[in-house]
Amino acid sequence: MKREKLLLAFAMAVTVGIGTSQLHAASIIDEWASVKAAPPPPVKEVTVDPKTTALVMADFVQPICSRYPRCMASLPVAKKVLDAARAAKVLVVYTSIPKVPISAVVADVAPNGDAPFVQSFTDKFLTTDLEKILKDHGITTLLMTGVSSNGAIIETSSEAALRGFNVDVVLDATSAATTYAEQFVAWQLVNGPVIASHITLTTSDKLKF
Amino acid sequence: MKSTRPLMAAIALTAALSAAGILSARAANVIDDWANIQAAPPPTLQPVTVDAKTTALLMLDFLHSNCNSEHGKRCIASLPIAKKLLDEARANHLLVVYSAYGKNTEKDIWDQVAPTGGEPFVVSFLDKFIGTDLNKILKDKGIKTVIVVGSAANGAAFGTASGAAQRGYSVIVPVDGISSDNLFAEQSAVWNMANAPVISSKITLTTVDMMKF
Repeated sequence: MKREKLLLAFAMAVTVGIGTSQLHAASIIDEWASVKAAPPPPVKEVTVDPKTTALVMADFVQPICSRYPRCMASLPVAKKVLDAARAAKVLVVYTSIPKVPISAVVADVAPNGDAPFVQSFTDKFLTTDLEKILKDHGITTLLMTGVSSNGAIIETSSEAALRGFNVDVVLDATSAATTYAEQFVAWQLVNGPVIASHITLTTSDKLKF
Repeated sequence: MKSTRPLMAAIALTAALSAAGILSARAANVIDDWANIQAAPPPTLQPVTVDAKTTALLMLDFLHSNCNSEHGKRCIASLPIAKKLLDEARANHLLVVYSAYGKNTEKDIWDQVAPTGGEPFVVSFLDKFIGTDLNKILKDKGIKTVIVVGSAANGAAFGTASGAAQRGYSVIVPVDGISSDNLFAEQSAVWNMANAPVISSKITLTTVDMMKF
């Protein structure tokens, strides 16, 4: 008898539990563990038009890059892209965050001459004259490298797309603190509403100058 | 005889760091790593007390064209939650601002969360500060904090939350009031609000039930 009551109580608890979960739309936090990554997006060959393309070297500065092992590991790739861009006379633009000057750019990819330089938090168009610099040079496409993927890269790429620029993101020359952040940014760049139609993912060995 | 313990510990640590994706050795690019990447743990939700005088509710893109049974099921499911929040905000005299994109007008907003008339309305894609006078609207009313709800989580909600944070506003995001039909998109947008450089320090994640007015 006692056992039957217990079973009944258990059955009721389960029923109420199920009912409750159906009534309340579970937030994403409740569903977190069951979320699967979307399939990987395509990586494409890109032929750079030196006249209309600018290479953006985003926040390759000591206080940031040295904090991210994946940024330090990306430096040889970034240097390879930088050297190829310079050889092709592509406009190179450097960025940093407020209070961190251009002299803080890590030596491997340091600027030479008078490369344009803008300082802002993650969206490099915000409170800078980046858009004017690009338009004055006839730039219609940005080649994005730098750190971090889920900060300067996604924000600046999105804002560039909203401003009508095309954006090619060099995946192996961009980095974040974790691969998860790099993963969802790569996906979002070419699947996000509005921006996706302006953005292409590429890698350093798929770039032709 | 030497103990193998330090070696084993080092191997275990290396494996753990590698799984977390924070070792310096990296695959050529994230696409090569794709199948091995685990989502980061979920962020913590916090109870929030809203200051009615300095807080605005931003109702983003609750439109028939993106919030529908074809490609906005989770947005449809969030409408009663958004309505509950909207009712509380109005009862407490919060500034409510609506948005749309493209050629949509205020008439394209779902009835249950529709503007009453006279509420500010801005039109732009994703980041509602771009190409609109949203910043001026908020500053003129002495707003310091915005509550962001709407669709898509990885579109207007993230874009505007980030735009607000970068302009110095505090941002409250009830995660049950933002949505994307792609769960990976919604999850990563939520995670990035809590973890992205710079903006995460200005953003608090909560739920509508955890908000007090």
